[in-house]
Amino acid sequence: MAAITVENLVKTYTTYKRGSGFLETLKSFVKRNPVTVRAVDDISFKIEKGVICGILGPNGAGKSTTIKMLCGALFPSGGKIDVMGYYPAKDRIKYVRKIGAVFGQRSQLIWDIPPIDSFAMNKAIYAIKDSDYKKRLDELTELFDVAEVIHKPTRVLSLGERMKCEFIMAMLHSPDIVFLDEPTIGLDVIAKTKIREVVGKMNQNGTTFILTTHDLEDVEQLADHVIIINHGKKVFDDTLPHLKSTLGNKKIVKLTLSKPYIGETINGANIIQRESELDISLEVDVEKQGINDFLNDLSNFVDFTDISIKELPMDMIITRIYNA
Amino acid sequence: MKYIKMYLACAHTAFSRAAAYRADFLLGSIITLLSNILFPLVTVLIYTNGATFPGWTMWEVLLIQSVYSMSTGAAAMFFYSVVWVTMEHIREGSFETVLLKPVSPLFFIASSNFDPQYGGLFLGGLVLTIVSSAHTNISGLSGILQFILLFTAGLAVMSGLYLVMAAITFKWVGNARIPEIFDSIITFGKYPAGIFPRGIRVLSTLIVPVSVIGYFPASALLGRLEPMAYISLIPCLLFLAFGIWIYNRMIKLYEGVGG
Repeated sequence: MAAITVENLVKTYTTYKRGSGFLETLKSFVKRNPVTVRAVDDISFKIEKGVICGILGPNGAGKSTTIKMLCGALFPSGGKIDVMGYYPAKDRIKYVRKIGAVFGQRSQLIWDIPPIDSFAMNKAIYAIKDSDYKKRLDELTELFDVAEVIHKPTRVLSLGERMKCEFIMAMLHSPDIVFLDEPTIGLDVIAKTKIREVVGKMNQNGTTFILTTHDLEDVEQLADHVIIINHGKKVFDDTLPHLKSTLGNKKIVKLTLSKPYIGETINGANIIQRESELDISLEVDVEKQGINDFLNDLSNFVDFTDISIKELPMDMIITRIYNA
Repeated sequence: MKYIKMYLACAHTAFSRAAAYRADFLLGSIITLLSNILFPLVTVLIYTNGATFPGWTMWEVLLIQSVYSMSTGAAAMFFYSVVWVTMEHIREGSFETVLLKPVSPLFFIASSNFDPQYGGLFLGGLVLTIVSSAHTNISGLSGILQFILLFTAGLAVMSGLYLVMAAITFKWVGNARIPEIFDSIITFGKYPAGIFPRGIRVLSTLIVPVSVIGYFPASALLGRLEPMAYISLIPCLLFLAFGIWIYNRMIKLYEGVGG
């Protein structure tokens, strides 16, 4: 069952173009030159209930604008959004009770006071019963391991501690869907791992997560469904395994050569990276040539002292989709 | 009841925030009190040097100015931070965090940014009002009831003006000088309206009814209320209603164009 249905979603806004230099600045002071930007351009997709969906795209692709429209914070310029039967921007007050959101670069915690006070404020705003609040807070603080942290002023917390508290703030009212806009941005490995672990657990309990990120590990470890947006348009919409196979079945073979090799291909495989004179990476299309055959023939072309075989990295797949 | 509980919880966070920086809070309260409450000294200086506001004794003028301080203190406690907080959210592009709360954005910003620092100004005004009243002839119960009605109307005008200013910040992003325009406008409420030319009297009574902030409520206490004061109640309510409408309208525009 689709929790989110988006049809032909469009968001345009007007900005003002201004050249550089004194004269241009003076000119724009007298007369501004409006430019209409199509931030989201006719996007349609469906997201099933209970999944983790990753929305990927380069900077300025329209991911955050899409998330803001899905959260009800922005009215679309065109198209339809249906989230659990609500039209987010129109039914905002009723709708936002059912969702949670964490914006990695916008804090919902109150800076000067401990997170526990911000949580208490949300308890009143969402009219959470005392018993439910206590149970949920205990559960979340234990999951994130922040029982002590929540009593310290937010301003003295580390970024990782603060993000964990942001998650608690967004989940106290047990939302059905949680929107995460770059939730692991700037975090260290330990904090990222913890957050991914908790998101995974909450998802197992039925919470749907929509996640925008630049960290492909977030997607590889969490997402069932991936949507890629570029220049406001949807360029991919399918499962993670399908994303991995979208460029065909390819492997990366890394070699440490005995002596430098100057050719562009080895045994029919392209050299895609030269880390040094002796360290090179080859892209092998295993649909054309089985990896076993490739390896058997390889020593006929070059001498090497070390070899490793890997899957095509996600960043390479994504970059090629962006550039397609 | 639900909204009262919500307001109290949000206001509690505002108190906690103020208490987090105790020295700053105390100093801020004292500075706010002194910078506003010392103003009546000018009136004392005028009268002790032989000049007057025609038809008004020194204590009567001081009463107007102390009621004005009470009114500005009370309105600022509840609504002044709406201007700064809205301005900050728009400038930083973080208004989405407000729109994620399942309540009216105006209610949320006003309640979670309740500013107890202005409590000192309100109390200072109250003390001065009591002292000035003791030196003037205060009319009976009807005068006090009229005072309460007009004082409330004054709060409505002030709140309406704050909301209009906050609404302007949606379009006039980051302009910290908007409150200066507001301060200049409300200054007319500090003095007996009779000292102004007719045009300004009409403006300060019927168009932007700032006379209701200090002059009219104090006149009610003194039993010198002009019939015009009752007419000014209508623009007071209209001003508040307009402030709420324009603020909500700007939020709708933000939802439509922000990104």
